[in-house]
Amino acid sequence: MTLLLRWLVLAACLALAPRADAQGRGASNRQVVVSAAVSLTEVLQQLAPAYQAKTGDRLVLNLGASNTLARQISFGAGADLFISADEAQMNAVAAYIDPATRVDLLANQLAIAVPDDRPRTMMSARDLLDPAIRRIAIGDPAAVPAGVYARQYLQTIGIWSDVASKLVPAGSVRLALMAVESGAADAGIVYHTDVATAAHAREALLIPSTNGPRIVYPAAVVRAGKNPEGGRRLLAFLGSPDAIAVFTRAGFIAPVPVRN
Amino acid sequence: MTAEIRDIAIFTTVAALAATAVMLVPGVAIAWLLARRRFPGKAIVETVVSLPLVMPPVATGLMLLWLFSRRGPLGALFDRIGIEIVFTPAAVVIAMSVMGLPLLIRTARAGFEQVTRRYEQIAETLGAGPWRVFSTVTLPLATRNILAGAMLGFSRALGEFGATIVVAGSIPGRTRTLAVGIYSFTETGQDRQAAILLVISVSIAFVAVLASNRMAREA
Repeated sequence: MTLLLRWLVLAACLALAPRADAQGRGASNRQVVVSAAVSLTEVLQQLAPAYQAKTGDRLVLNLGASNTLARQISFGAGADLFISADEAQMNAVAAYIDPATRVDLLANQLAIAVPDDRPRTMMSARDLLDPAIRRIAIGDPAAVPAGVYARQYLQTIGIWSDVASKLVPAGSVRLALMAVESGAADAGIVYHTDVATAAHAREALLIPSTNGPRIVYPAAVVRAGKNPEGGRRLLAFLGSPDAIAVFTRAGFIAPVPVRN
Repeated sequence: MTAEIRDIAIFTTVAALAATAVMLVPGVAIAWLLARRRFPGKAIVETVVSLPLVMPPVATGLMLLWLFSRRGPLGALFDRIGIEIVFTPAAVVIAMSVMGLPLLIRTARAGFEQVTRRYEQIAETLGAGPWRVFSTVTLPLATRNILAGAMLGFSRALGEFGATIVVAGSIPGRTRTLAVGIYSFTETGQDRQAAILLVISVSIAFVAVLASNRMAREA
Protein backbone atom coordinates (compact mmCIF):
# COMPACT_ATOMS: atom_id res chain seq x y z
CA MET A 1 0.00 0.00 0.00
CA THR A 2 2.77 2.43 0.89
CA LEU A 3 4.29 1.73 -2.50
CA LEU A 4 1.05 2.55 -4.27
CA LEU A 5 0.72 5.68 -2.18
CA ARG A 6 4.22 6.72 -3.12
CA TRP A 7 3.42 6.33 -6.79
CA LEU A 8 0.19 8.25 -6.44
CA VAL A 9 1.96 11.06 -4.61
CA LEU A 10 4.67 11.04 -7.26
CA ALA A 11 2.06 11.14 -10.01
CA ALA A 12 0.26 14.00 -8.26
CA CYS A 13 3.53 15.93 -7.91
CA LEU A 14 4.33 15.42 -11.58
CA ALA A 15 0.87 16.58 -12.55
CA LEU A 16 0.95 19.68 -10.38
CA ALA A 17 4.58 20.74 -10.74
CA PRO A 18 4.45 22.78 -13.96
CA ARG A 19 1.44 24.79 -12.79
CA ALA A 20 3.13 25.68 -9.50
CA ASP A 21 6.17 26.80 -11.49
CA ALA A 22 4.18 28.96 -13.82
CA GLN A 23 2.41 30.76 -11.01
CA GLY A 24 5.33 31.18 -8.67
CA ARG A 25 7.75 32.93 -10.98
CA GLY A 26 7.78 36.26 -12.70
CA ALA A 27 8.34 36.48 -16.41
CA SER A 28 11.67 38.27 -15.92
CA ASN A 29 13.46 35.05 -14.95
CA ARG A 30 14.89 33.01 -17.79
CA GLN A 31 14.39 29.32 -17.71
CA VAL A 32 16.95 26.67 -18.50
CA VAL A 33 15.60 23.36 -19.72
CA VAL A 34 17.79 20.37 -19.04
CA SER A 35 17.04 16.98 -20.56
CA ALA A 36 18.78 14.65 -18.15
CA ALA A 37 19.16 10.91 -17.64
CA VAL A 38 16.49 9.82 -15.15
CA SER A 39 19.16 8.40 -12.83
CA LEU A 40 20.09 12.03 -12.05
CA THR A 41 16.57 12.90 -10.79
CA GLU A 42 17.29 13.37 -7.08
CA VAL A 43 20.71 15.04 -7.39
CA LEU A 44 19.45 17.56 -9.92
CA GLN A 45 16.42 18.31 -7.74
CA GLN A 46 18.83 18.78 -4.87
CA LEU A 47 21.10 21.09 -6.88
CA ALA A 48 18.31 23.15 -8.47
CA PRO A 49 17.76 25.64 -5.59
CA ALA A 50 21.49 26.46 -5.36
CA TYR A 51 21.70 26.96 -9.11
CA GLN A 52 18.61 29.15 -9.16
CA ALA A 53 19.89 31.23 -6.24
CA LYS A 54 23.26 31.67 -7.92
CA THR A 55 22.14 32.58 -11.43
CA GLY A 56 18.49 33.58 -11.20
CA ASP A 57 17.76 31.08 -13.96
CA ARG A 58 14.80 28.84 -13.38
CA LEU A 59 15.71 25.19 -13.85
CA VAL A 60 13.21 23.00 -15.71
CA LEU A 61 13.99 19.29 -15.48
CA ASN A 62 12.99 17.00 -18.32
CA LEU A 63 13.93 13.57 -16.99
CA GLY A 64 13.76 10.28 -18.85
CA ALA A 65 15.73 7.43 -20.32
CA SER A 66 18.62 8.96 -22.27
CA ASN A 67 17.49 7.27 -25.50
CA THR A 68 14.03 8.84 -25.10
CA LEU A 69 15.60 12.26 -24.52
CA ALA A 70 17.92 11.80 -27.50
CA ARG A 71 14.94 11.00 -29.69
CA GLN A 72 13.13 14.11 -28.45
CA ILE A 73 16.19 16.22 -29.27
CA SER A 74 16.56 14.67 -32.71
CA PHE A 75 12.89 15.47 -33.35
CA GLY A 76 13.69 19.10 -32.57
CA ALA A 77 12.74 19.34 -28.88
CA GLY A 78 14.14 22.49 -27.33
CA ALA A 79 16.34 21.59 -24.41
CA ASP A 80 19.25 23.83 -23.45
CA LEU A 81 21.42 21.10 -21.96
CA PHE A 82 21.47 17.34 -22.51
CA ILE A 83 23.00 14.98 -19.97
CA SER A 84 23.07 11.42 -21.28
CA ALA A 85 23.84 8.28 -19.29
CA ASP A 86 25.96 6.91 -22.10
CA GLU A 87 28.09 8.03 -25.01
CA ALA A 88 25.98 6.25 -27.62
CA GLN A 89 22.94 8.46 -27.01
CA MET A 90 25.05 11.62 -26.98
CA ASN A 91 26.67 10.49 -30.23
CA ALA A 92 23.19 9.88 -31.65
CA VAL A 93 22.41 13.61 -31.33
CA ALA A 94 25.87 14.79 -32.41
CA ALA A 95 24.29 16.93 -35.14
CA TYR A 96 22.07 18.74 -32.63
CA ILE A 97 24.60 19.71 -29.97
CA ASP A 98 27.44 22.18 -29.71
CA PRO A 99 30.42 19.77 -29.80
CA ALA A 100 32.77 22.30 -28.21
CA THR A 101 30.72 22.19 -24.99
CA ARG A 102 30.66 18.39 -24.67
CA VAL A 103 32.25 17.07 -21.48
CA ASP A 104 32.12 13.88 -19.48
CA LEU A 105 30.33 15.13 -16.39
CA LEU A 106 30.11 12.05 -14.19
CA ALA A 107 30.79 8.35 -13.91
CA ASN A 108 28.66 5.65 -12.30
CA GLN A 109 28.65 1.94 -11.46
CA LEU A 110 26.17 -0.86 -11.96
CA ALA A 111 24.53 -2.71 -9.09
CA ILE A 112 22.14 -5.60 -8.66
CA ALA A 113 19.03 -4.58 -6.71
CA VAL A 114 16.61 -6.96 -4.99
CA PRO A 115 13.23 -6.35 -3.29
CA ASP A 116 13.64 -5.41 0.37
CA ASP A 117 11.30 -8.20 1.54
CA ARG A 118 13.70 -10.73 0.04
CA PRO A 119 17.08 -9.16 0.74
CA ARG A 120 20.18 -11.12 -0.20
CA THR A 121 23.77 -10.50 -1.00
CA MET A 122 25.39 -11.90 -4.08
CA MET A 123 28.98 -12.98 -4.46
CA SER A 124 28.88 -12.32 -8.18
CA ALA A 125 26.41 -11.62 -10.96
CA ARG A 126 26.49 -15.36 -11.65
CA ASP A 127 24.09 -15.65 -8.72
CA LEU A 128 21.46 -14.37 -11.18
CA LEU A 129 21.46 -17.92 -12.55
CA ASP A 130 19.87 -19.07 -9.25
CA PRO A 131 16.44 -20.59 -10.11
CA ALA A 132 14.94 -18.54 -7.26
CA ILE A 133 15.58 -15.48 -9.43
CA ARG A 134 12.85 -15.86 -12.01
CA ARG A 135 12.70 -12.35 -13.48
CA ILE A 136 15.47 -9.82 -13.87
CA ALA A 137 14.51 -6.24 -14.73
CA ILE A 138 16.95 -4.22 -16.82
CA GLY A 139 16.70 -1.19 -19.08
CA ASP A 140 15.75 -2.17 -22.63
CA PRO A 141 19.12 -3.46 -23.90
CA ALA A 142 18.24 -2.19 -27.38
CA ALA A 143 18.94 1.42 -26.34
CA VAL A 144 18.30 2.33 -22.69
CA PRO A 145 21.85 3.04 -21.41
CA ALA A 146 21.49 1.06 -18.16
CA GLY A 147 20.25 -1.91 -20.20
CA VAL A 148 23.07 -1.60 -22.72
CA TYR A 149 25.62 -1.55 -19.88
CA ALA A 150 23.89 -4.53 -18.24
CA ARG A 151 24.01 -6.49 -21.48
CA GLN A 152 27.70 -5.66 -21.97
CA TYR A 153 28.47 -6.81 -18.46
CA LEU A 154 26.46 -10.04 -18.70
CA GLN A 155 28.14 -10.78 -22.03
CA THR A 156 31.57 -10.11 -20.57
CA ILE A 157 31.06 -12.58 -17.74
CA GLY A 158 29.50 -15.03 -20.18
CA ILE A 159 25.96 -15.47 -18.79
CA TRP A 160 23.98 -13.26 -21.19
CA SER A 161 22.39 -16.14 -23.11
CA ASP A 162 21.74 -18.08 -19.89
CA VAL A 163 19.72 -15.29 -18.29
CA ALA A 164 18.14 -13.95 -21.52
CA SER A 165 14.84 -15.75 -20.90
CA LYS A 166 14.53 -14.15 -17.42
CA LEU A 167 15.05 -10.58 -18.58
CA VAL A 168 12.28 -8.00 -18.39
CA PRO A 169 13.30 -4.97 -20.47
CA ALA A 170 12.04 -1.66 -19.06
CA GLY A 171 11.69 1.75 -20.68
CA SER A 172 14.12 3.34 -18.26
CA VAL A 173 16.41 2.32 -15.42
CA ARG A 174 13.91 3.69 -12.91
CA LEU A 175 11.12 1.57 -14.34
CA ALA A 176 13.40 -1.45 -13.92
CA LEU A 177 13.96 -0.40 -10.33
CA MET A 178 10.20 0.03 -9.83
CA ALA A 179 9.67 -3.52 -11.07
CA VAL A 180 12.09 -4.71 -8.37
CA GLU A 181 10.47 -2.58 -5.67
CA SER A 182 7.00 -3.93 -6.44
CA GLY A 183 8.35 -7.47 -6.19
CA ALA A 184 7.36 -8.15 -9.80
CA ALA A 185 11.03 -8.74 -10.63
CA ASP A 186 13.24 -10.75 -8.28
CA ALA A 187 16.32 -8.75 -9.20
CA GLY A 188 17.27 -5.81 -11.36
CA ILE A 189 20.45 -4.43 -12.84
CA VAL A 190 20.45 -0.68 -12.21
CA TYR A 191 22.94 1.99 -11.27
CA HIS A 192 24.53 1.94 -7.84
CA THR A 193 23.12 5.46 -7.30
CA ASP A 194 19.55 4.33 -8.05
CA VAL A 195 19.39 1.79 -5.25
CA ALA A 196 19.95 4.46 -2.61
CA THR A 197 16.84 6.31 -3.84
CA ALA A 198 14.61 3.22 -3.56
CA ALA A 199 12.45 2.73 -0.49
CA HIS A 200 11.77 -0.95 -1.20
CA ALA A 201 14.94 -2.27 -2.80
CA ARG A 202 18.34 -3.28 -1.44
CA GLU A 203 21.70 -3.63 -3.11
CA ALA A 204 22.68 -7.28 -3.47
CA LEU A 205 25.89 -6.65 -5.37
CA LEU A 206 27.92 -3.65 -6.43
CA ILE A 207 29.63 -4.10 -9.77
CA PRO A 208 32.60 -1.76 -9.30
CA SER A 209 33.81 0.27 -12.27
CA THR A 210 37.10 -1.62 -12.06
CA ASN A 211 35.53 -4.80 -13.44
CA GLY A 212 32.27 -3.47 -14.87
CA PRO A 213 31.52 -1.47 -17.98
CA ARG A 214 32.87 2.08 -18.20
CA ILE A 215 29.86 4.26 -17.41
CA VAL A 216 30.12 7.97 -18.20
CA TYR A 217 27.55 10.75 -18.39
CA PRO A 218 28.43 13.11 -21.23
CA ALA A 219 26.78 16.56 -21.18
CA ALA A 220 26.51 19.15 -23.95
CA VAL A 221 24.62 22.31 -24.83
CA VAL A 222 21.81 21.65 -27.32
CA ARG A 223 21.72 23.99 -30.31
CA ALA A 224 17.92 24.08 -30.65
CA GLY A 225 17.57 25.42 -27.10
CA LYS A 226 16.11 28.87 -26.45
CA ASN A 227 18.71 29.71 -23.82
CA PRO A 228 22.15 28.40 -24.82
CA GLU A 229 23.86 30.82 -22.44
CA GLY A 230 21.83 29.34 -19.59
CA GLY A 231 22.82 25.87 -20.80
CA ARG A 232 26.50 26.87 -20.59
CA ARG A 233 26.05 28.40 -17.15
CA LEU A 234 24.30 25.28 -15.92
CA LEU A 235 27.01 23.04 -17.35
CA ALA A 236 29.72 25.10 -15.64
CA PHE A 237 27.77 24.99 -12.39
CA LEU A 238 27.36 21.20 -12.55
CA GLY A 239 31.13 20.83 -13.01
CA SER A 240 31.92 23.06 -10.02
CA PRO A 241 33.43 21.50 -6.87
CA ASP A 242 30.25 22.23 -4.90
CA ALA A 243 28.08 20.36 -7.37
CA ILE A 244 30.58 17.51 -7.70
CA ALA A 245 30.44 17.16 -3.90
CA VAL A 246 26.67 16.66 -4.11
CA PHE A 247 27.08 14.15 -6.92
CA THR A 248 29.70 12.12 -5.06
CA ARG A 249 27.60 12.14 -1.89
CA ALA A 250 24.81 10.55 -3.97
CA GLY A 251 27.24 7.83 -5.07
CA PHE A 252 28.33 9.18 -8.45
CA ILE A 253 32.01 9.32 -9.35
CA ALA A 254 33.85 12.32 -10.75
CA PRO A 255 34.97 11.13 -14.18
CA VAL A 256 38.55 10.14 -14.82
CA PRO A 257 39.80 11.56 -18.11
CA VAL A 258 40.41 8.81 -20.64
CA ARG A 259 44.00 8.48 -21.76
CA ASN A 260 44.44 7.78 -25.42
CA MET B 1 7.82 -8.85 -42.48
CA THR B 2 10.11 -10.58 -40.01
CA ALA B 3 9.11 -13.49 -37.79
CA GLU B 4 9.30 -11.17 -34.80
CA ILE B 5 6.78 -8.73 -36.29
CA ARG B 6 4.49 -11.56 -37.37
CA ASP B 7 4.57 -13.05 -33.87
CA ILE B 8 3.70 -9.68 -32.31
CA ALA B 9 0.68 -9.34 -34.61
CA ILE B 10 -0.51 -12.89 -33.88
CA PHE B 11 0.08 -12.59 -30.13
CA THR B 12 -1.82 -9.29 -29.95
CA THR B 13 -4.80 -10.69 -31.84
CA VAL B 14 -4.92 -13.89 -29.77
CA ALA B 15 -4.57 -11.96 -26.51
CA ALA B 16 -7.36 -9.55 -27.52
CA LEU B 17 -9.60 -12.49 -28.44
CA ALA B 18 -8.83 -14.15 -25.09
CA ALA B 19 -9.56 -10.85 -23.31
CA THR B 20 -12.90 -10.62 -25.12
CA ALA B 21 -13.76 -14.16 -24.04
CA VAL B 22 -12.77 -13.36 -20.46
CA MET B 23 -14.91 -10.21 -20.31
CA LEU B 24 -17.96 -11.72 -21.99
CA VAL B 25 -19.63 -13.61 -19.11
CA PRO B 26 -19.03 -11.07 -16.31
CA GLY B 27 -19.72 -8.22 -18.74
CA VAL B 28 -23.09 -9.58 -19.83
CA ALA B 29 -24.02 -10.49 -16.24
CA ILE B 30 -23.21 -7.01 -14.92
CA ALA B 31 -24.95 -5.36 -17.89
CA TRP B 32 -28.11 -7.38 -17.20
CA LEU B 33 -28.00 -6.60 -13.47
CA LEU B 34 -27.64 -2.87 -14.17
CA ALA B 35 -30.44 -2.94 -16.75
CA ARG B 36 -32.95 -5.10 -14.90
CA ARG B 37 -32.31 -5.06 -11.17
CA ARG B 38 -32.30 -2.59 -8.34
CA PHE B 39 -29.90 -3.29 -5.53
CA PRO B 40 -28.10 -1.35 -2.83
CA GLY B 41 -24.87 0.16 -4.11
CA LYS B 42 -25.98 0.04 -7.75
CA ALA B 43 -24.70 3.57 -8.38
CA ILE B 44 -21.30 2.53 -7.00
CA VAL B 45 -21.11 -0.55 -9.24
CA GLU B 46 -22.18 1.57 -12.23
CA THR B 47 -19.39 4.03 -11.48
CA VAL B 48 -16.68 1.50 -10.76
CA VAL B 49 -17.21 -0.45 -13.98
CA SER B 50 -16.93 2.78 -15.97
CA LEU B 51 -13.76 3.98 -14.25
CA PRO B 52 -11.28 2.36 -16.68
CA LEU B 53 -12.92 4.40 -19.48
CA VAL B 54 -12.08 7.72 -17.89
CA MET B 55 -9.02 7.00 -15.76
CA PRO B 56 -5.59 7.36 -17.33
CA PRO B 57 -4.77 3.83 -18.54
CA VAL B 58 -1.39 4.08 -16.79
CA ALA B 59 -3.20 4.60 -13.48
CA THR B 60 -5.29 1.49 -14.16
CA GLY B 61 -2.04 -0.33 -14.92
CA LEU B 62 -0.50 0.83 -11.64
CA MET B 63 -3.53 -0.42 -9.71
CA LEU B 64 -3.30 -3.77 -11.49
CA LEU B 65 0.43 -3.93 -10.76
CA TRP B 66 -0.26 -3.24 -7.12
CA LEU B 67 -3.03 -5.87 -7.00
CA PHE B 68 -1.18 -8.59 -8.88
CA SER B 69 2.45 -8.08 -7.91
CA ARG B 70 3.86 -10.57 -5.44
CA ARG B 71 3.59 -7.93 -2.70
CA GLY B 72 -0.04 -7.09 -3.54
CA PRO B 73 -3.21 -8.73 -2.14
CA LEU B 74 -4.14 -10.87 -5.20
CA GLY B 75 -0.55 -11.43 -6.29
CA ALA B 76 0.30 -12.83 -2.85
CA LEU B 77 -2.48 -15.41 -3.22
CA PHE B 78 -1.31 -16.43 -6.70
CA ASP B 79 2.30 -16.49 -5.50
CA ARG B 80 1.37 -19.00 -2.82
CA ILE B 81 0.07 -21.44 -5.45
CA GLY B 82 3.03 -20.72 -7.68
CA ILE B 83 1.30 -18.63 -10.35
CA GLU B 84 2.93 -15.49 -11.66
CA ILE B 85 0.84 -12.79 -13.27
CA VAL B 86 2.92 -9.64 -13.66
CA PHE B 87 5.14 -9.61 -16.78
CA THR B 88 3.39 -12.69 -18.23
CA PRO B 89 0.96 -13.01 -21.16
CA ALA B 90 -1.77 -13.44 -18.51
CA ALA B 91 -1.10 -9.86 -17.41
CA VAL B 92 -1.62 -8.70 -21.01
CA VAL B 93 -5.03 -10.41 -21.11
CA ILE B 94 -6.01 -9.00 -17.71
CA ALA B 95 -5.06 -5.45 -18.71
CA MET B 96 -6.94 -5.77 -21.99
CA SER B 97 -10.04 -7.21 -20.25
CA VAL B 98 -10.21 -4.48 -17.64
CA MET B 99 -9.87 -1.77 -20.28
CA GLY B 100 -12.41 -3.36 -22.65
CA LEU B 101 -15.02 -4.36 -20.08
CA PRO B 102 -16.69 -0.91 -19.66
CA LEU B 103 -17.39 -0.71 -23.40
CA LEU B 104 -18.95 -4.17 -23.44
CA ILE B 105 -21.06 -3.44 -20.34
CA ARG B 106 -22.37 -0.11 -21.63
CA THR B 107 -23.34 -1.47 -25.03
CA ALA B 108 -24.86 -4.70 -23.68
CA ARG B 109 -26.77 -2.81 -21.00
CA ALA B 110 -28.37 -0.58 -23.64
CA GLY B 111 -29.35 -3.77 -25.46
CA PHE B 112 -31.03 -5.27 -22.37
CA GLU B 113 -32.86 -2.02 -21.70
CA GLN B 114 -34.31 -2.09 -25.21
CA VAL B 115 -35.85 -5.53 -24.66
CA THR B 116 -39.55 -5.02 -24.05
CA ARG B 117 -40.45 -6.02 -20.49
CA ARG B 118 -43.80 -7.41 -21.71
CA TYR B 119 -42.14 -10.27 -23.62
CA GLU B 120 -40.37 -11.33 -20.45
CA GLN B 121 -43.60 -11.02 -18.43
CA ILE B 122 -45.49 -13.12 -20.97
CA ALA B 123 -42.83 -15.83 -20.71
CA GLU B 124 -43.13 -15.66 -16.93
CA THR B 125 -46.93 -16.05 -17.01
CA LEU B 126 -46.44 -19.08 -19.25
CA GLY B 127 -44.40 -20.60 -16.45
CA ALA B 128 -40.82 -19.93 -17.47
CA GLY B 129 -38.30 -19.54 -14.63
CA PRO B 130 -35.95 -16.56 -14.45
CA TRP B 131 -33.06 -18.40 -16.19
CA ARG B 132 -35.33 -19.65 -18.97
CA VAL B 133 -36.74 -16.13 -19.47
CA PHE B 134 -33.23 -14.78 -19.68
CA SER B 135 -31.80 -17.42 -21.99
CA THR B 136 -34.76 -17.77 -24.36
CA VAL B 137 -36.20 -14.24 -24.43
CA THR B 138 -33.90 -11.52 -23.07
CA LEU B 139 -30.53 -12.79 -24.31
CA PRO B 140 -31.57 -13.52 -27.91
CA LEU B 141 -33.21 -10.10 -28.21
CA ALA B 142 -30.05 -8.39 -26.92
CA THR B 143 -27.59 -10.46 -28.96
CA ARG B 144 -26.81 -7.79 -31.52
CA ASN B 145 -25.85 -5.28 -28.84
CA ILE B 146 -23.79 -7.84 -26.98
CA LEU B 147 -21.91 -8.66 -30.19
CA ALA B 148 -21.37 -4.98 -30.92
CA GLY B 149 -20.14 -4.49 -27.35
CA ALA B 150 -17.80 -7.45 -27.66
CA MET B 151 -16.48 -5.98 -30.91
CA LEU B 152 -15.85 -2.65 -29.18
CA GLY B 153 -14.16 -4.39 -26.27
CA PHE B 154 -12.02 -6.39 -28.69
CA SER B 155 -10.98 -3.26 -30.56
CA ARG B 156 -10.12 -1.51 -27.32
CA ALA B 157 -8.10 -4.55 -26.24
CA LEU B 158 -6.16 -4.57 -29.52
CA GLY B 159 -4.98 -1.02 -28.97
CA GLU B 160 -4.44 -1.17 -25.23
CA PHE B 161 -1.15 0.42 -24.22
CA GLY B 162 -0.98 2.27 -20.91
CA ALA B 163 -2.12 -0.47 -18.57
CA THR B 164 -0.32 -3.19 -20.52
CA ILE B 165 3.12 -1.61 -20.44
CA VAL B 166 2.93 -1.15 -16.66
CA VAL B 167 1.62 -4.55 -15.63
CA ALA B 168 2.94 -6.75 -18.47
CA GLY B 169 5.97 -4.83 -19.69
CA SER B 170 7.39 -5.08 -23.20
CA ILE B 171 9.14 -8.43 -23.21
CA PRO B 172 10.01 -9.51 -26.76
CA GLY B 173 8.36 -12.79 -27.66
CA ARG B 174 6.38 -12.87 -24.42
CA THR B 175 4.29 -9.78 -23.65
CA ARG B 176 5.10 -7.33 -26.44
CA THR B 177 1.88 -6.28 -28.21
CA LEU B 178 1.35 -4.07 -31.28
CA ALA B 179 0.81 -0.88 -29.29
CA VAL B 180 3.59 -1.54 -26.80
CA GLY B 181 5.89 -2.67 -29.62
CA ILE B 182 5.37 0.56 -31.57
CA TYR B 183 6.36 2.49 -28.46
CA SER B 184 9.38 0.32 -27.59
CA PHE B 185 10.69 0.28 -31.15
CA THR B 186 10.33 4.06 -31.44
CA GLU B 187 12.01 4.67 -28.09
CA THR B 188 14.95 2.49 -29.01
CA GLY B 189 15.42 3.95 -32.48
CA GLN B 190 14.13 0.91 -34.42
CA ASP B 191 11.95 3.05 -36.66
CA ARG B 192 11.53 0.46 -39.41
CA GLN B 193 9.97 -2.11 -37.08
CA ALA B 194 7.77 0.60 -35.56
CA ALA B 195 6.59 1.63 -39.03
CA ILE B 196 5.69 -1.95 -39.98
CA LEU B 197 3.70 -2.41 -36.75
CA LEU B 198 1.98 0.91 -37.45
CA VAL B 199 0.83 -0.29 -40.88
CA ILE B 200 -0.44 -3.55 -39.33
CA SER B 201 -2.33 -1.61 -36.64
CA VAL B 202 -3.99 0.65 -39.19
CA SER B 203 -4.99 -2.37 -41.29
CA ILE B 204 -6.52 -4.25 -38.36
CA ALA B 205 -8.36 -1.14 -37.14
CA PHE B 206 -9.63 -0.46 -40.66
CA VAL B 207 -11.09 -3.95 -40.99
CA ALA B 208 -12.60 -3.85 -37.47
CA VAL B 209 -14.31 -0.48 -38.00
CA LEU B 210 -15.53 -1.51 -41.45
CA ALA B 211 -17.00 -4.73 -40.02
CA SER B 212 -18.68 -3.03 -37.06
CA ASN B 213 -20.14 -0.30 -39.30
CA ARG B 214 -21.58 -2.95 -41.59
CA MET B 215 -23.00 -4.78 -38.57
CA ALA B 216 -24.61 -1.57 -37.33
CA ARG B 217 -26.15 -0.88 -40.75
CA GLU B 218 -27.70 -4.35 -40.89
CA ALA B 219 -29.15 -3.88 -37.41
